[in-house]
Amino acid sequence: MVRLYTEDISIGYGDQPIVKNLSIKIPDQKITTIIGANGCGKSTLLKAITRIISHQSGSVVLDGQPISKESTKALAKKMAILPQTPESAAGLTAGELVSYGRFPHQKGLGRLTKRDIEVIDWALEVTDTIDYKHRPVDALSGGQRQRVWIAMALAQETDIIFLDEPTTYLDMAHQLEVLELLQKLNKEQGRTIVMVLHDLNQAARFADYLIALKDGEIVKAGSGEEIIQPDILRTVFNIDATIGRDPLTNKPMCLSYNLVKGA
Amino acid sequence: MIHPSVIRKQRIFMIAFSLLVLITMIVSIGFGASSVSYDRIIPTILGQGEFVDEFVLFELRLPRMLVTLLAGMALAVSGSVLQSITRNDLADPGIIGINSGAGAAVAVFFLFVPIETGAFTYVIPAVAFAGALITAILIYLFAYERDRGLQPIRLILIGVGFSAALSGLMVVLISSTDRDKVDFIAQWLAGNVWGTSWPFVWALLPWLVILVPFILYNAQRLNILNMSEPVAIGVGVKVNRERIILMLTAVALAAAAVSVSGGIAFIGLMAPHIAKSLIGPRNQLFIPIAMLIGSWLLLTADTIGRNLIDPTGVPAGVVVAIIGAPYFVYLLLKK
Repeated sequence: MVRLYTEDISIGYGDQPIVKNLSIKIPDQKITTIIGANGCGKSTLLKAITRIISHQSGSVVLDGQPISKESTKALAKKMAILPQTPESAAGLTAGELVSYGRFPHQKGLGRLTKRDIEVIDWALEVTDTIDYKHRPVDALSGGQRQRVWIAMALAQETDIIFLDEPTTYLDMAHQLEVLELLQKLNKEQGRTIVMVLHDLNQAARFADYLIALKDGEIVKAGSGEEIIQPDILRTVFNIDATIGRDPLTNKPMCLSYNLVKGA
Repeated sequence: MIHPSVIRKQRIFMIAFSLLVLITMIVSIGFGASSVSYDRIIPTILGQGEFVDEFVLFELRLPRMLVTLLAGMALAVSGSVLQSITRNDLADPGIIGINSGAGAAVAVFFLFVPIETGAFTYVIPAVAFAGALITAILIYLFAYERDRGLQPIRLILIGVGFSAALSGLMVVLISSTDRDKVDFIAQWLAGNVWGTSWPFVWALLPWLVILVPFILYNAQRLNILNMSEPVAIGVGVKVNRERIILMLTAVALAAAAVSVSGGIAFIGLMAPHIAKSLIGPRNQLFIPIAMLIGSWLLLTADTIGRNLIDPTGVPAGVVVAIIGAPYFVYLLLKK
């Protein structure tokens, strides 16, 4: 099932086109990962789908309606975004930051209802950050901070969550922690996760559906088995990859690689 | 989600600064030329004072103090809003051209429009208000980009440019005029509290009564606008629309203040900043404190300025600048 798709979407800054006539489908209740080399337009695509930047032509359709026709607030009840490395939380405690995720559900003065507070506590519990509720976000470690930001996105109670490189700047253990949290949210609560990842093997391990981009165009979309293939990786990343199996998960993985000679 | 101890702390600051304002008012009444001595203040307020004391208190001191307090509050709220929507602690109503716009309008009007002295008093604030508003709108039009909307940093840069250009224009205008006219304009630009009678209180009060509750009602939006743009859009804030509405509100407040107080800078910079360092970045908590700090700062500056040099005194804006300029440098260095 597909609730969210793009139709011939083109995105650019000024005269410079970054994404050209791209049509992609986001499978519902699955983890989708967009991969591609630097500058291929994957972050740009994510921003356009989440209406952070506007697209020049085509449309992004959610539940049968172009998102450009819907109010920002109504969309915020359907999709949450974790931007790339959100900046400092400017003195807020974790609880306060997460409470901002309730904004689309609030009216008037924005006092938190009992239900709001329950959701905030739940989001902090799920992300294992409830202990930091009254601690300033800026005083937390990178991994803790990233989990608090995810909790904020969760507090929006949306079916779809977008994340732009959620593992950047985290050490290996924290990267896994964040990805396992997202997997848990997907499996246990059926949330649709769409993210941009740099690490191919993480993408293959966690994603049900991968979209490989090059120069703003789709190279191939499909399962990890279909995408982690030498010929596709050669096109997308310009590498000669040796593909094997992850001994722990039995998913395809890129064991080693060389730059494509003479390219 | 704000911890109860923070809210309690905010209440304590509110009470403390209210008391400070009250004490400064009392001190100010009994200070300087034509004052009411301290033992006669309470009987005079209760209507049992002598005519002279009543006149000084109700017709001279009280309106001037109220205008000063209200202008300080308006500048503080304006600065708070601008700092939140531009995500920049150095933003100040002066930066988006309010002071220079009002100043240039006053200078042009004063030099080129012949007018009787009687009406003059009441026309000048209107002229200053219009000048501030037009400048702010021009800056906004120049800063607005069709595909990216209103980018705060662009707003600030263009605002600084406009301020410089308008200041230059004023120098050109002033350098070719009579001495006495120059004196008046110079006094105005220096922030010599100009409207000192009841009509100015009534002219200023409605702006605050309407716009301050509106701003506090939007405190959560301000909190979210203070985050990055993607975060704000992600939780459903119409970033561009809110920025424009809130900026206009800030402009109106500052223009109203400047129209009766003259060109006063730094209050809108200092008051929110001090309030934030006391209670943190939540707009609903720091704006009320910033209002009290702003009004106290301006009242204190006016009281000091009034008594510093006989008989004319030093404009409040100059006294504010003497404190404000080093504070600004301190902020820059800290960054």
